[in-house]
Amino acid sequence: MTVGDVIHVEHLTKSYGKQRGVVDLTFSVAPGEVFGYLGPNGAGKTTTIRTLIDVIRPTDGSATVLGLDSHRDSVQIHRRVGYLPGEFNLYEQMTGADYLAYLAQLRGGVDEPYAAELAERFDLDLGMKIKSLSHGNRQKVALLQAFMHRPELLVLDEPTQGLDPLMQQEFYRLIAEARSDGRTVFLSSHVMPEIDRVCDRVAIIREGRLVAVEDIGDLKAKEIRTLEVHFAEPVAADAFASLPGVRQAEAAGDEVRITVAGPMDAILKALARHEVVDLQSHEPSLEEIFLTFYGGDGDGE
Amino acid sequence: MASELTLRRPMLRTTFRRTIRDQRRALVWWAIGLFAAGATYAPFYPSIKENAETLQQYMESMPEFLSDAFLGASRDFTSPAGYLNTELFNFFAPILLLLYAIGAGARAIAGEEERQTLDVLLATPTTRRRVVLEKFGAMAVGAALLCVVLWVSIPLTGPPFELTPSLWDLAAACLMSFLLAMAFGGVALAVGCATGRRGLAIGVTAGFAAAAYLVDLLTPAIESIDWLQYLSPLHYYLDAEPMMNGLGVGGSLVLAAIAVVGLAYALVAFERRDLAA
Repeated sequence: MTVGDVIHVEHLTKSYGKQRGVVDLTFSVAPGEVFGYLGPNGAGKTTTIRTLIDVIRPTDGSATVLGLDSHRDSVQIHRRVGYLPGEFNLYEQMTGADYLAYLAQLRGGVDEPYAAELAERFDLDLGMKIKSLSHGNRQKVALLQAFMHRPELLVLDEPTQGLDPLMQQEFYRLIAEARSDGRTVFLSSHVMPEIDRVCDRVAIIREGRLVAVEDIGDLKAKEIRTLEVHFAEPVAADAFASLPGVRQAEAAGDEVRITVAGPMDAILKALARHEVVDLQSHEPSLEEIFLTFYGGDGDGE
Repeated sequence: MASELTLRRPMLRTTFRRTIRDQRRALVWWAIGLFAAGATYAPFYPSIKENAETLQQYMESMPEFLSDAFLGASRDFTSPAGYLNTELFNFFAPILLLLYAIGAGARAIAGEEERQTLDVLLATPTTRRRVVLEKFGAMAVGAALLCVVLWVSIPLTGPPFELTPSLWDLAAACLMSFLLAMAFGGVALAVGCATGRRGLAIGVTAGFAAAAYLVDLLTPAIESIDWLQYLSPLHYYLDAEPMMNGLGVGGSLVLAAIAVVGLAYALVAFERRDLAA
């Protein structure tokens, strides 16, 4: 642990009887960082986050938030943190403004003009009853309550779920602003491109265990893509299998599928020696990252 | 316009106020129900009084536990006080108040938890203890309101039918009904706080109330187990008969103690527990 870490999780374990929770997690988030928490659904992201917020308690290990104990000092932490749960409901009978007013008053007041500005940016009508809002609009109300008191730390569980692409862009801008204000963001996601786009560092979690903590730059350098190349005539896959960065190459008729990690230069030059009809590049799924990049199939569950 | 958003609402300043605001419509209906319960008995009073002798004989001819159930220990149901004691306070009023309080107690925490509204609320600088206390307070205000409505329903509707009991004794009966409601509301709150399951809290508490009623009704007739009646919270309510005897201080204290123990257990259990996702 470094002095001044905004989040420090040490040997954190949460067990739920037979169900998997999280096992022996250790990581830190530095001030001003946008930290991604990446993993498939059910990997333990929500469990970790709810421990930070003290709605659940560790079975073993500890979590420190803003230098304070997540359980003992939870009230002080909550004053300085904005939290968006992964799954939630709002009070259906209230309007969006009522809901925000209730939470704002529990916080002893918030930056009202800022809240109004956010509502405008997200094109959200706060006068509507929550029961008549779409899923995306409810997500916006919940985002607003996390941001409206301008907290030092934002803990956001799958923040873009339900947002349409335009609103996702607005959300990314909001994260960029938080970063330039020197605030810290901890956000979870189950999709790689989102983490790529907004985060400085990422922790990857799978089946309750931490697989890696990487700088985004390093991760990108190692990122794996699958190329599907359609040639004018059949080409042997062997020609590509030995090139730097190629993990796998297989041919079927006049098509070749090549899995590549890192820079593409060598492979593109090799492809160019043949007549190429079509070329497609696919981003890897999370499972592909785990299987190929981090080797092995996890703990075999 | 952006600058015109105000996030101040007097009725949403605290969880206590918000909970009262949440149930404002339901409370109006409950109040109408309680008023109707009180008002309905008045028109029947003259005919009961006229046929007092016949009815009394008929009731007395039943087995003791049944006449206890219908008449109460005092065996008086022809005076205004006796009539209200037997018909209203030994039957309809406690049932309505228990329904309200058990619902409110179970909903307080477990209802929010099941609807998944609790994570955001508890991520504000509020303690769990405070949320439970304010919810308990809101339940007390609701129950008190209903008991006041019950109290005023009799002087407002009784006089044309000569149903004019002592308003002090009536107030004592309403107060004990309130304490009874808070006792079972406290139990429902405790079960809800311990388990996070609203349906379970309602079921367990309603079952407990039904068992408590039967125990108080049946065990006094059987000498070897007649002490069991003292284990029934309802005993301390039904045995007091405040319409005739004024406020039963001992019974009231027992009922209040049950409510406080329920609240205390709720606070401890909720503080320690993981919340459902």
